Amino acid sequence: MFKPFEKISRQTFLIMVVSQVLLTLLIWQLSPGGLIPQPSHVLSALGQLLTTRLLIDNLLVSLVLTLQAMLYSILITLLFSYFSVIPFFHSIAGFIVKCRYLTLTGLIFIFTLLTRDGSQLKLSLLVFGIVPFFTTSFLAVILRIPAQEFELCQTLGYNRWQSLYEVIVVGKADQVFEMVRQNFAIAWMMITMVEGLNMSEGGIGALLIKYNKYNDLTHVLALQALIFVIGLCFDYLLGLLRGWLFPYTQIHKN
Amino acid sequence: MTPYTIKETLLQAKDLSLVYGDKCILHDINFSIRDIIRPGLQQGQVVSLVGRSGMGKTQLFRLLSGLQKPSSGSITIRQRKPAETGTGSIEVYQEREVRPGDMGVIFQNYYQFGWRTVKQSLLLAARRNKALAGKEEDSIRQYAEQFDITDVLHRWPGQLSGGQQQRVSIIQQLLKGADYLLLDEPFSGLDVCVLDKVVELLLQVSLSDELKTLVIVSHDIATAVAMSDTVYVLGRQAGKEGSTLVREIDLMERGLAWQKDVRQEKAFAETLEEIKGCL
Repeated sequence: MFKPFEKISRQTFLIMVVSQVLLTLLIWQLSPGGLIPQPSHVLSALGQLLTTRLLIDNLLVSLVLTLQAMLYSILITLLFSYFSVIPFFHSIAGFIVKCRYLTLTGLIFIFTLLTRDGSQLKLSLLVFGIVPFFTTSFLAVILRIPAQEFELCQTLGYNRWQSLYEVIVVGKADQVFEMVRQNFAIAWMMITMVEGLNMSEGGIGALLIKYNKYNDLTHVLALQALIFVIGLCFDYLLGLLRGWLFPYTQIHKN
Repeated sequence: MTPYTIKETLLQAKDLSLVYGDKCILHDINFSIRDIIRPGLQQGQVVSLVGRSGMGKTQLFRLLSGLQKPSSGSITIRQRKPAETGTGSIEVYQEREVRPGDMGVIFQNYYQFGWRTVKQSLLLAARRNKALAGKEEDSIRQYAEQFDITDVLHRWPGQLSGGQQQRVSIIQQLLKGADYLLLDEPFSGLDVCVLDKVVELLLQVSLSDELKTLVIVSHDIATAVAMSDTVYVLGRQAGKEGSTLVREIDLMERGLAWQKDVRQEKAFAETLEEIKGCL
């Protein structure tokens, strides 16, 4: 367990993770209080939050917005990434990748002018924040495609558009899914930030800001724990879905 | 000696050269493959290009497949095309420069699309072949039985053994309907039993059609000689950079072609020695 590259069974791994989590919680619980609330308090705050309509409503608002933003982001990313192999679009895709270095805060005013309402503003900011990261990931996938995949298409007599469809659209569909899984975290992380811009519509981000404002650290940590767990659940579900939709990705795992 | 005659040129490489920057890889490559006629048989052609590692065999393979353009020179092939006449459909022949897709290409590592099952991959190829229109599934079934891969039709490439992958690659290119089949190191990494099977299988392919032409690029001289009708040796000429064809060996003339137990013949051993001397 302490040797580099040592292989351990799944069961051992699970036992190890559970023990590490329990140990961390125990140390946290037993450490002197101070400003940071103990896990038992966080847990009870979470239990209390879960029974309220407030949390469910806000959670739904955030989830819907995240899924909407993900959908638009995927569509935009795929469009520009697929076309990035066409020289005319290559520079545009390259520019989108570089947009990772633009801060959203500096663009809020411009987006406020360009959008109709708060809901649109949040959605556009999220999409603008996610797309550069998605595009970066997918362009890296495209760049890593072995020349043999295109050569096999050529030997089968495919034209360039057919090669693009077979190798990039069909052949990399599983990796698009994996990219979505990996980048969902970005969307989930950004949602709390953009929701602070228009708090009238609620959302888990707005709730966090509200609790932060009143220094209610117990509820803040309870919400963080919930956000964390939901993120993990999505990660797991997307992983399951990927295995089901693209069974060949599971061959080497089995 | 088995009676045979040589007819039209099917493939001609003329003054081929390949240069990367100021480094010459191949120069003055000239050879042709001609149609061999044997009475009562559909005799295809089996030509081997042998040479030591690093002699540019794979580069020549890529030039022949049309995947890479030569720095100079040309490769022309004779292709048959169906043509409609008033009385029905006939086959006409045309000569033109080789293009990607003209040749059936079997890469050294038998690459297949990882996201397609064997059957899906074979269907992709069969659908490219107009002669199989409407009979794609039947053709796949027949080839799968013939090549003993029926059990793996629904598997993914990652689940196949090396031998199975090779057979799938060969069937795929056969289904495509190409007369020319290029094989890059088809014998490397195979154990003795599988090697015999592969040789038998390739000979079977060469006998499936009069115009079927196999070009085998290999450094396994003995196996290449045992199954070919002609061998070209790729080597270096003194004082010249890059490789070229240093010897053409007509195995038909020596009575070494199409013989099952050719390895027992004295002339076979002499030919091997002759080739080794050229390398």
